[in-house]
Amino acid sequence: MNKGVSVWPLSLRLAHWASAILVVAALGLGTYMVQLVHDPAERFELTQTHKSIGVAVLALTVVRLCLRILANAPKPEHAAPLVLLAAKVTHIVLYALLLVMPLSGWLMATTTPVRVPTFVFGLVELPYPLSPDLTTYRVAHTTHVVSAVFLGSLVVLHIAAALIHAFLWRDLTLARMWWRRSPAA
Amino acid sequence: MAQSSQIMSARNARTYRWLVAVCALALLPFAGTGEANVAQGWRIDEAHTWIGFKIDAVGFPKTRGHFNHYSGKVFIDFDRPAKSFTSFTVDATSLDLGSQTFTDFVKSSPLLNAEKYPTLSFISTLVEKLDSRTARVTGNLTMLGVTKPIVLTVNVDTDPSAKGRAVAFVATGTIVRSEFGMTFGVPIIDDALEITVKTRALTDE
Repeated sequence: MNKGVSVWPLSLRLAHWASAILVVAALGLGTYMVQLVHDPAERFELTQTHKSIGVAVLALTVVRLCLRILANAPKPEHAAPLVLLAAKVTHIVLYALLLVMPLSGWLMATTTPVRVPTFVFGLVELPYPLSPDLTTYRVAHTTHVVSAVFLGSLVVLHIAAALIHAFLWRDLTLARMWWRRSPAA
Repeated sequence: MAQSSQIMSARNARTYRWLVAVCALALLPFAGTGEANVAQGWRIDEAHTWIGFKIDAVGFPKTRGHFNHYSGKVFIDFDRPAKSFTSFTVDATSLDLGSQTFTDFVKSSPLLNAEKYPTLSFISTLVEKLDSRTARVTGNLTMLGVTKPIVLTVNVDTDPSAKGRAVAFVATGTIVRSEFGMTFGVPIIDDALEITVKTRALTDE
């Protein structure tokens, strides 16, 4: 299907790169604040920022998934079936983690006994739909941490694959997510 | 003659240490930000006064905070140390945790609720001398509208260079905050927190 299209729609390209920036920021900040920040005031403030970025990731991912379903996806570049399958699986898991990460974070913020209001970038207060519950919080926390490691690994794999496509195999996989004009357009 | 002098000197030293201890423990939470804080010729060295706390939490760095505004009174009875008395109030809204957002959160309703309960107060009920350098002060702490007894241990230190005209003391004690209705965050945030009052009392006499 959509044989005439050779680049991703502009909306999805923008969403992809915005998501890339936000995800790297959230992963980096989350790791930094938990591993390296020992000043309680700084940790508190960074956590508030981290939660805001997470909400942005969630909102963007929902919009992105809607766009993705509606979009005319470009045909994949020629590659071995196993590579195509690996790409497909990676992309699906990436999308899933982009939902699991912020949702498990939201669940943490909601169920923790240390419930701190989240004002998304200082503007809107994030609702907390559940009551504090230590067991649920611990499950959410573990999910968040394990997912973060998974997501970080997949982001590295995703970047490596994009670079291999672009510089080793010299195909247009990366270009169609970049600013390349569609010849069909 | 020399022996007699030695005995006198030892007795004087004991008496002196005892007086210092009583004085210091009675002064314990005495601290001021401008109001008249002179009693029995003693006053607080505000530049050397600090009222704060520290509390631990799981997965969060140990948090230290202090208050910038407080006031206190003290009555010292050297002859009957048990009659010594002290009281102080701390402005809960003057909390400082080193970050505005963090401070605002801790001042909010699940914790200090400073808008509804703007003051924390302590009134001593019993002053006991433990030894020449240590005292114990029992008193009632009022926090979040709840009054409960707490016990503070006071370390007393005379400044040798001040020739008895300055006494430094450090009072520490543990508050179990759930007893005052502050249950937020337990058990992620510890129920018990340590409070510290550091100050220095001065006299011209």
